[in-house]
Amino acid sequence: MSAERVDLRVQVGPLELPSPLLVASGTFGFGQEYAQYVDLGALGGIMTKAVTIAPREGNPGPRVWETSAGMLNSIGLQNPGLDTVIAEKLPFLIELGVPIIVNIAGETIAEYATLAQRLGEVEGLAALEVNVSCPNVDRGGMEFCREIPVLRELVAAVRDETELPLIVKLSPNVGDVVPTAEAALEGGAEVVSMINTLVGMAIDAVRRRPRLAHVTGGLSGPAVKPIALAMVWRVWRALQCPVIGMGGIFTGEDAAEFLLAGASAVAVGTASFVDPTSAQRVREELVEFCCGQGVETVRELTGSLRV
Amino acid sequence: MAHETAEVVWNESITQWHYLLALKTKHAAAAAQPGQFIHVRVGPTHDPLLRRPLSVLRTDPGTGQLWVLVRVVGRGTRLLAEMEPGARLDIMGPLGRGWPEPPPQGDLILVAGGVGVAPLIFWAEVLQSSYPASHVLSIFGAAHEGELACWLELAARSDEFYVATEDGSAGEKGLAVDLLRVYLDQRRVGAVYACGPRGMLAAAARLCARASVPCYVAMEQWMGCGIGACLGCVVPAAGGGYVRVCTDGPVFRADELDWEVLVQ
Ligand SMILES: Cc1cc2nc3c(=O)[nH]c(=O)nc-3n(C[C@H](O)[C@H](O)[C@H](O)COP(=O)(O)OP(=O)(O)OC[C@H]3O[C@@H](n4cnc5c(N)ncnc54)[C@H](O)[C@@H]3O)c2cc1C
Ligand SMILES: Cc1cc2nc3c(=O)[nH]c(=O)nc-3n(C[C@H](O)[C@H](O)[C@H](O)COP(=O)(O)O)c2cc1C
Ligand code: FES
Repeated sequence: MSAERVDLRVQVGPLELPSPLLVASGTFGFGQEYAQYVDLGALGGIMTKAVTIAPREGNPGPRVWETSAGMLNSIGLQNPGLDTVIAEKLPFLIELGVPIIVNIAGETIAEYATLAQRLGEVEGLAALEVNVSCPNVDRGGMEFCREIPVLRELVAAVRDETELPLIVKLSPNVGDVVPTAEAALEGGAEVVSMINTLVGMAIDAVRRRPRLAHVTGGLSGPAVKPIALAMVWRVWRALQCPVIGMGGIFTGEDAAEFLLAGASAVAVGTASFVDPTSAQRVREELVEFCCGQGVETVRELTGSLRV
Repeated sequence: MAHETAEVVWNESITQWHYLLALKTKHAAAAAQPGQFIHVRVGPTHDPLLRRPLSVLRTDPGTGQLWVLVRVVGRGTRLLAEMEPGARLDIMGPLGRGWPEPPPQGDLILVAGGVGVAPLIFWAEVLQSSYPASHVLSIFGAAHEGELACWLELAARSDEFYVATEDGSAGEKGLAVDLLRVYLDQRRVGAVYACGPRGMLAAAARLCARASVPCYVAMEQWMGCGIGACLGCVVPAAGGGYVRVCTDGPVFRADELDWEVLVQ
């Protein structure tokens, strides 16, 4: 196995991951769907679809639209709700023995706190990813990234409820990402992840209608990679904090670019739709990249961009 | 594993807009059931990015061949139309839920609209071979004669076959559902199976509900993953909420869906 040629273990704040290759929230369901395409046990971690306290129906369709080298989605946080997730989805994931990170979303700070408290009681989770960056909901979502004191308060409220490591998923839809990362850390999070999707839109000019029923959606895929890289780099340069990078990672070299920009780990998102084996393939390609570059431990890549 | 590299065996232009592709597959042909689809990567680059869903038109499990009918509507289908024999195609599938077991009694009516004929050809073939006692009445509707791709394939697998075109260039002038209304009145119908434009499916669902005949529809929706993970491909469910076309469908019982919202 090629993985043995390179030490893939990474330390992301308090999180010890067997590999820096995770799968991004909302692009991998609750894992089961990809079990026949990817060796789930070889993943560095699985970030679940966003979980809310009550079940959410999500937005009307069409919910996805392809754009140049990217896609728009407006899922709207459809999920079966916390109780069902705990009873029916998490046992399968925890059984896998890979780090499981539950992505949580709410409309109020109290909802985030409740989610953290309940999930804190579940045995076997690795961390929570606090989603304050969903562009497809009318309340909550990325609004929390727009007000620094509110964001800090939200993270602190979650921190009070659980000992689990906290990752805050940041929005690219802000003027400057650095203060939001800072607020997340001040609130008590150990790690930030970025980027969530960028607000975007597509129009059918002939029918004079938006392509998505929700009108706007979130842009992901290769089209957003340069923006994601720049944001990871800016946060790393300013704060030197643990970052999980994502946004258009399709190859091992893409993953390496995020590590060089300052990420300690990365996540594969939209790529899984295009190639269902992406998570595993990107990991193998990263190993190849490291071998070709004489890199023995993947940790040494983090932030080692020559500028 | 439902993911493989298939080979284009041949690619035939059958009308100005329709192409019939035969693919050589290792697994998909042997596993595919009528009504299921394959999710096809149309090129190796990032643009177009996402896979394109295509219904399985027929299979030959013996040789591993699987046929799809492609109607060119945009860039992805254009790339498929240009594929040369020998080209390799990354496919996932068979995916989704196909047509359910037919009822033991009554005529089975298949209603095809345009390129929606593909999953019904496969169904007619299986009905003919596995349910020889069944009586299959097929109705094929399209805007004009040129959109009746593969009509012979459906006709050859049906006990009765009728055509409707909106401009009257072939068969009856009018809609497929106009003919459906007639046969729902005249026959003892066991079930109706429909695939085509949404308006047609909605009308078929309405007529069948009125006649108390079970109706099954194959739905389309833009897709991401194709395997139930992204929740991108939903349609509204009767009684609220959404169902995924890729895994809960593409075939639904018509009364599982909220047609009022669907035709908005
Ligand atoms: C389950 C399923 C089975 C299908 N079976 C067939 C088939 O057997 N033969 C066939 O020719 N087509 C089939 N389609 C439709 C086919 O997937 C789309 O026509 C194709 O994805 C369009 O790609 P494009 O790049 O050519 O068009 P694009 O450039 O992406 O879009 C052109 C136009 O095509 C339409 N379109 C795009 N994507 C879809 C989609 N997923 N569903 C419906 N309309 C779409 C839109 O109206 C759009 O304006 C099926 C769709 C589904 C969901
Ligand atoms: C269909 C879809 C659903 C998503 N759902 C969520 C979600 O529930 N929670 C979340 O934090 N991010 C969600 N995201 C964002 C991704 O996790 C990721 O941050 C983003 O897509 C950028 O990475 P990518 O370009 O590799 O996809 C979703 C993205 C897509 C495409
Ligand atoms: S296409 Fe992803 S859930 Fe159906």
